[in-house]
Amino acid sequence: MSDTSSPGGAAVPPGEPPPRTAPPALELRSITQHFGSFRALRDVDFRVEAGEVVGLLGENGCGKSTLVKVLAGVNTPDAGGELTIDGRPVPLPLSAGQFRDLGLSFVHQDLGLARTLTVTENLMVGEAGAAASRKPINWRSQRRRTRALLQSYNVDVDPDLPINQLPPVGQALVAIVRAAEELKAYRARGDVGHSILFLDEPTVFLPEDQVEFLFELIRTVVAGGASVVFISHDLAAVRAICDRVVVLRDGQVAGEARIGEVDDRQLVEMIVGPVGGKLVGQAQRRAPGDDLGDAPPRCTVQGLRGGRATGISFAVRPTEIVGLAGLLGSGAEDVPYLLFGARKATAGRMTLDDREIVLPVLDPTTAVRQQVAMVPADRRRDGIAPSLSVGENATILVNDEYTQAGRLQGGRLRELVRRQLERFDVRPRNGNALMGTLSGGNAQKVVMAKWLEINPRLLLLHEPTQGVDVAARAEIYRLIREASTGGMATVWVSSDFEELATVCDRVLVVADGEVRAELTGDEVTDEAISSAVYHHTTDAAAVLADEVPTAS
Amino acid sequence: MSTTELQTGAADQGAGPEKPPTPHGGGGFAVWAERLALPVAWLVLVVIYGALRPDTFLTWQNVSNIIASQVVLLVLAFAALMPSFVGDFDLSLGGILGLTAMVAGVLNIQQEMNIWLACAIGVGAAVVAGALNGLFVVYFDTDPLIITLGMGTVFTGAIFYLSGSNTIVGIDRALSEATFSTKFLGLPLQFYYALVILLIVWYVSSFTPLGLRALFVGQSRDVAKLSGIRVTRLRWGGFILGGFIAGIAGVLLLGTTGSADPTASGGFLLPAYAAVFLGATSIKPGRFNAIGTAIAVFFLATGVNGLQLLGAQNYVQQLFYGAALVIAVVLSRQLRRRA
Repeated sequence: MSDTSSPGGAAVPPGEPPPRTAPPALELRSITQHFGSFRALRDVDFRVEAGEVVGLLGENGCGKSTLVKVLAGVNTPDAGGELTIDGRPVPLPLSAGQFRDLGLSFVHQDLGLARTLTVTENLMVGEAGAAASRKPINWRSQRRRTRALLQSYNVDVDPDLPINQLPPVGQALVAIVRAAEELKAYRARGDVGHSILFLDEPTVFLPEDQVEFLFELIRTVVAGGASVVFISHDLAAVRAICDRVVVLRDGQVAGEARIGEVDDRQLVEMIVGPVGGKLVGQAQRRAPGDDLGDAPPRCTVQGLRGGRATGISFAVRPTEIVGLAGLLGSGAEDVPYLLFGARKATAGRMTLDDREIVLPVLDPTTAVRQQVAMVPADRRRDGIAPSLSVGENATILVNDEYTQAGRLQGGRLRELVRRQLERFDVRPRNGNALMGTLSGGNAQKVVMAKWLEINPRLLLLHEPTQGVDVAARAEIYRLIREASTGGMATVWVSSDFEELATVCDRVLVVADGEVRAELTGDEVTDEAISSAVYHHTTDAAAVLADEVPTAS
Repeated sequence: MSTTELQTGAADQGAGPEKPPTPHGGGGFAVWAERLALPVAWLVLVVIYGALRPDTFLTWQNVSNIIASQVVLLVLAFAALMPSFVGDFDLSLGGILGLTAMVAGVLNIQQEMNIWLACAIGVGAAVVAGALNGLFVVYFDTDPLIITLGMGTVFTGAIFYLSGSNTIVGIDRALSEATFSTKFLGLPLQFYYALVILLIVWYVSSFTPLGLRALFVGQSRDVAKLSGIRVTRLRWGGFILGGFIAGIAGVLLLGTTGSADPTASGGFLLPAYAAVFLGATSIKPGRFNAIGTAIAVFFLATGVNGLQLLGAQNYVQQLFYGAALVIAVVLSRQLRRRA
């Protein structure tokens, strides 16, 4: 048993079985997994009782997904591990697709949807019998059935749209519905005792209002007799829905607890370890006494239209961090891209110091030249070049300043990268490592390092801590606050209101494409932001319906 | 289908946040073995052929023959590198090469134009052809594979139209003297021209911000766009420079053969891309690079030459080149998957 610290008195030592009579729905014992010389999992025990919702927690790179992929038949663990399902031993490794026979269903981080096929086509794939069926497909009745199916889950997406034209949240909902249907099919088949649904970071794509929907769905699944494994960084969500949590750290089980018996601080300490825990939860608000006063704005935005923004105006003062809060479809999420020229605004002006920028003709090259920085939400697609090195990623914006007679100065660049990695605490401290091998938190730190290197006058952030572990998240808050003291104006768009409350000096509530309210000073709290957002959003539930494709 | 997707597709899969760090990161034997696999394979070929046919294979005459005969292909491979760097494909480069040779040939013979002016106009035509590719692919945002396949066929049609399907013979000997027939250290002058192009491409791609920016565009186009890199401009540049260098290859071909044969350019494109992809498995594995490409050209030429000396028929060339392209693409795919 790989026992480690068992932080918090309430934590149950791992491995100690709770009183029970029936065998667990699923039990993994002594799972070790090497990738080359790298050990991703070490002697991990993991158990799911029938009808239980288990939270699987841990920082990025701690081995959560690796463990799940053992059950999905993707990873081949080292010899010596055992798997029992309903008390029945099942030999490891599992073959691809075997999880279906065992009654397991997965919603992976990348959702596993066919992006160019329609919602209807994607939902058909999971249907039992569809593959074996030789009957011609009656598309009209298929569409009708899909519509009814989506309605039964209260999901409002157009069955005829291809997946890649849905917003991320719509995509996530389709994936989850498909998995839930898969569970139903297992039960209908009748040859599995317990079906288990694995949700890998399901809340990453979901704004606050849709998370409740997810919980509803999980409850339905559990009421139907299934178990759920819930993998997440979102402690609030874990707390709301899980019965028990298992925490992985550096590939080992770091602790295990019933959810009612630990508080957030203890959970965080389990996740990041005793040292990292100190950083977490510390607000990165403006230091007391450091008053913005009557400083003139560094950046003003007037009449911004484009995407779902129908006329947004605001100003940001030097060193100020302004949060934009809004539900999906409010228009807030379009603002960073419009102000950066990554999407074309239809109207609007921005002043930056004394320079006037006409937004509809702005392009990213000009934006960067004006020292505007933007950290996009979709890190994997828009933020990092995974096949290039960490150093190349971190210095792409400034490398032309490190030249002599047009030739890159390797030595000075390496020195710069070394300083960046040190300052942003990127692990490993290896500028030659490929970007794609970094964990989410470290990758995001490199993205921050890259942008802060141009000394931005305006920093635009969209969900900058999505898929980032707790410790790295705190680190990112600190780094941005630190950078802003140099006079940088920051616009922070996030659907995580707790995050906004942690870092922002001022929060603007965006609804229906306009700024509807402003929260300042002591008003900037998680609760106040949520209630303002819901108060001002006229038709929160109907937002999904008129979602339009925005990705270029 | 395009190089970009080929690359980002593989990269996306590898970019999961919990993907374990690859065991080899810094130096180490495995890395060097990978980098040097192609040069070593080349040496092995030389040793084997040398042992089997010491009298014919290991003669200076054979060596200089291999080198001299590959210059046009080498230059065309550099042309193919240009769009490849920024994640595009240009399958019309063979057509552009032939078009340049034919335009220059027709102007020189039928219009009795000065050979240098004729060559300059031929290269100009190549640049225009490259710009047309840029227009259709970049400006109209279409799939480079299909567009350049179509454009290549258009160029081939133009070659036959210009030549009336005849070989244009009797090109001014001055061209041949400036490229092929004059030797320096036993090798034709055009080999040194190719070396100069190699050095420029290598230097710019490896040691300048421009090269790094092109690399970003080729490997992660969206990231490049959101980093303020002028993606569109660099992609235009890839097609136009590719056309320009293919034009130079066309002039060298005209000088080498002393005639403009409408069918001559057909066989160059595939080995050029074979060399580009094979080159990407070596020196800087996973990246298109000039030195790897050059080594690959001579690796392929040596392989074919040795087999022919061992008595193989001419078709062995196609077998070898075709297989090399397939193997190179499979290998580089594996490299990326691991990376």
